[in-house]
Amino acid sequence: MSQSSLVAMESVGAQRATATWENGSLAPLDHLRSERADSPTPGLVEGTEPGAGQQSAMFVHSQSFEDLTADAEDKTESKNSEEECEGKLDELVEEEAIEEQCNNMSLESRSREEDVSSEAWRSHKKHVFVLSEAGKPIYTRYGTEEALSSTMGVMMALVSFVEAKKNIIRSIHADGCKVVFLTRSPLVLVGVSRTWQSDKELLRELQYIYYQIVSLLTLTQLNHIFQHKQNYDLRRLLAGSEYLTDNLLHRLDRDPGLLLSAVTCLPLPSSARDVVSSSLQAAKSKNLVFSILLAGDRLVTLVRKKDQFLHHIDLHLVFNLVGSSSSFREGEGWTPICLPKFNTAGFFHAHISYLEPTSELCLILISTDREDFFNMSDCKQRILERLSKRSAYQTMKEALQCPSYSVVQVGIPELRHFLYKSKSSGLYTSPQFPEVYQSDQEQERLMGLYQDLHSFLHHPSRPLRSFYRCGETENLLAQVTSGFELYLCFSPLGTKALADSAVIKLLKWIRKEEDRLFILNPLTY
Amino acid sequence: MASGMQEKQFTPCLLSFFIYNPTFGPREGEEEKKILFYHPNDVEKNEKIRNVGLCEAIVQFTRTFCPTKPAKSLHTQKNRQFFFEPEENFWIVMVVRNPMIEKLNKDGKPPTVEYQEEEILDTVYGAVVRQCYSMYKLFNGTFTRAMEAGGVEMLIQKLEKFFYRYLQTLHLQSCDLLDVFGGISFFPLDKMTYLKIQSFVNRVEESLSLIKYTAFLYNDQLIWSGLEQDDMRILYKYLTTSLFPRHSEPELAGRDSPLRPEVAGNLLHYGRFLTGPTNLKDPEAKFRFPKIFVSTQDGYEELHLIVYKAMSAAACFMISASVELTREFCEKLDGLVGPQLTLLASDICEQFTINRRISGPEKEPQFKFIYFNHMNLAEKSTIHMRKTASVCLTSVHPDLMKILGDINCDFARVDEDEEIIVKAMTDYWVVGKKSDQRELYVILNQKNANLIEVNEAVKKLCATQFNNIFFLD
Repeated sequence: MSQSSLVAMESVGAQRATATWENGSLAPLDHLRSERADSPTPGLVEGTEPGAGQQSAMFVHSQSFEDLTADAEDKTESKNSEEECEGKLDELVEEEAIEEQCNNMSLESRSREEDVSSEAWRSHKKHVFVLSEAGKPIYTRYGTEEALSSTMGVMMALVSFVEAKKNIIRSIHADGCKVVFLTRSPLVLVGVSRTWQSDKELLRELQYIYYQIVSLLTLTQLNHIFQHKQNYDLRRLLAGSEYLTDNLLHRLDRDPGLLLSAVTCLPLPSSARDVVSSSLQAAKSKNLVFSILLAGDRLVTLVRKKDQFLHHIDLHLVFNLVGSSSSFREGEGWTPICLPKFNTAGFFHAHISYLEPTSELCLILISTDREDFFNMSDCKQRILERLSKRSAYQTMKEALQCPSYSVVQVGIPELRHFLYKSKSSGLYTSPQFPEVYQSDQEQERLMGLYQDLHSFLHHPSRPLRSFYRCGETENLLAQVTSGFELYLCFSPLGTKALADSAVIKLLKWIRKEEDRLFILNPLTY
Repeated sequence: MASGMQEKQFTPCLLSFFIYNPTFGPREGEEEKKILFYHPNDVEKNEKIRNVGLCEAIVQFTRTFCPTKPAKSLHTQKNRQFFFEPEENFWIVMVVRNPMIEKLNKDGKPPTVEYQEEEILDTVYGAVVRQCYSMYKLFNGTFTRAMEAGGVEMLIQKLEKFFYRYLQTLHLQSCDLLDVFGGISFFPLDKMTYLKIQSFVNRVEESLSLIKYTAFLYNDQLIWSGLEQDDMRILYKYLTTSLFPRHSEPELAGRDSPLRPEVAGNLLHYGRFLTGPTNLKDPEAKFRFPKIFVSTQDGYEELHLIVYKAMSAAACFMISASVELTREFCEKLDGLVGPQLTLLASDICEQFTINRRISGPEKEPQFKFIYFNHMNLAEKSTIHMRKTASVCLTSVHPDLMKILGDINCDFARVDEDEEIIVKAMTDYWVVGKKSDQRELYVILNQKNANLIEVNEAVKKLCATQFNNIFFLD
């Protein structure tokens, strides 16, 4: 295949090349080559890697991980979307909406009574604090805000002291413990960690918590409140929603999707997935922007309005909302939600319901109109009716029985687990945890190892192409190219030769299975 | 990017360096008393107090979460601050500005500054602060000792005198992994020559019984030392980065060069004192030597440091400070050591040349490496050129050096044998191995190699350079 035809092909966006990567080496494009020359699997240009969608992608994923930490970009983005949305969202922020939101939250009580001067409190692996710029406590992961008000006062004092010198405080380091600061006016977030995570990873997590709070209130509302009354106690508005933040923090420790800035799919034959997708697509409504079908933490399909993209952070916030509450099982939920990566100024309204009372399948219909409940309810009925006539529905229900796969299927000896992310589709795949990582503790340890690899590869000033670590408990290999990211975990018996050959083998296997593991034909209304 | 845009790159630099003791000015209005040393000195008083206050607050705040492990560094957008409490309540703080890029704007607007926040490695600069203290302690003893001898005034005086000069010799832009190790480079030697040196040391100590400890170096590399490891480590640092470079070999200087000392009447040998009198024949000569403090089982002892050199061989003799050194003693030492050391130096040189010839001519290898052994502090680097007083030149890109630093941080976390192989964006391969107490870092310039080939190359390197050391494979 000639170079020019490749360029033409690539220019259509992330469309899949007609030639598969196995056919030989498709030379990378010039702009890619300059960044990552001589990739180990030369055929994999972004958009042609296994798992890349055939249509344009579902998500905003321009820089995926990087845009989490780049403030400048963040600002311009939100400004643009603000303007953009002005017309679309006639809904403006209203206090009422917030209260409605809070009432929807089930008031699951947290056992937070803890002595904040005790060793037990201190030795929690990761603390997170949120405070206002006046130093008022808004959230603490452990203990009560009241007991910590003086500690948070000190945090704010440190932030302002450094700020007074036209400087910005980033982090404090002690042996085995670090404190990171994130200022997102009008909020200040502080993380205290005893893990080995890099500052950048911890900031990413704080950023998620920030977005979680914005998703409940909108930034416009948040700014409005604090401009009005600097000393406002935000807990009055957030009361009862702490469990969402608690849960998100739990996810951050365990869910590779949040680490990779990607989501994973329910393995499903593509014929069945296409039928499900078109059922969602068929149930249109004027103000409907996104229809999402989830199976637990896995995406079944996502249909979106043309030209509207969902950012993976927003999607994870939706996952968190759905996964954190059992109240949506009781009937149809109708809740305002701000999707901060889409637009920090206004609310969407989400219709959340399970397809069947005992099923894992949860349908989320996101509308711009707060009066749209009955329309959405109607859409859901249409989707259900259409689906129930098709055999694909049964196939999907069967797929729910085994929502994952064993690493043994890949056929690489000594391989225990892996994460593979297709960059252009923003989707990842990963087998279930093997025997050795059955306990929560072991799973979190494995996640910690992946986080290490991730921060090495994505170092802000010294990124790497590949990273191999051979230790006493496992051997790990991570690789990043313009098309994909790959993290492999081998038993300590795995050799370098094995690891080296495993990459190609695994890519081949994923290519073979990609119809099932990824959403290759995302639809729009 | 606009073509006319001008950019200026600034390397990390020392912003300030101060020492304080929070217990010295506990009452409000007395804060200034806490400050024992502050560089730069022309900072306004209240500014000094505020900066010390921030450090106190950071240290105190960190105790909320880890009461036993004190804060070590503070990262901000513009700089990093390093904290070190070498003695109870005495804090040393070093503030280093992040490297930055200044972009000149058109239309006379002030330039935009972009700080590179991820360039400085905590481990490297944390080690630099500790080294500052060790060096002070080598020549002055502990802070507490100065306090006991003459109160705060004495301590302030000593700090001022020492750090005023010492800080000028810090070259923060060229600090790297070697500062973290603070190792000693040993001179490779055959058994016969080694025994010759040992017997030389024994003979000298026997005839000059005042000598308590001896250290022997050749070519800026250590061969023999009677000191404790930690004392030798800092003395070695002083000798190789400060004393030796200041006395570049007069043997190499021209006959009329001012560097060439008065050797008239002393043609029997090339020996001379690097510390103490420059010319024994001078009737005005003073027999004062620098004093150093080394640790003993129950505290420390004060010693005279005599450094005596003949060609590339240097011997350090340490004698209790309670003894007054006289002209007679120095003449005796010169007469005894001078000829023997000259002979030894040429012996070693000969041996060294033979060994070099056997191992074949040096050609630019495909790899560069750093080796460090925590047990005996032995370090070896083919990355660094010869150290000079001012800079420590490396032959690889600074980013690669920082990757070595990153790998070293990873190794420091767990007490396990480990191996890491990474491929940088520039396609260089970097390998780190930790085995027992030893660490080896290799940079390979084999861009198209794969993991297996890299592994083979490192194996080969280990076999040739470290054939008697076992590395986890």
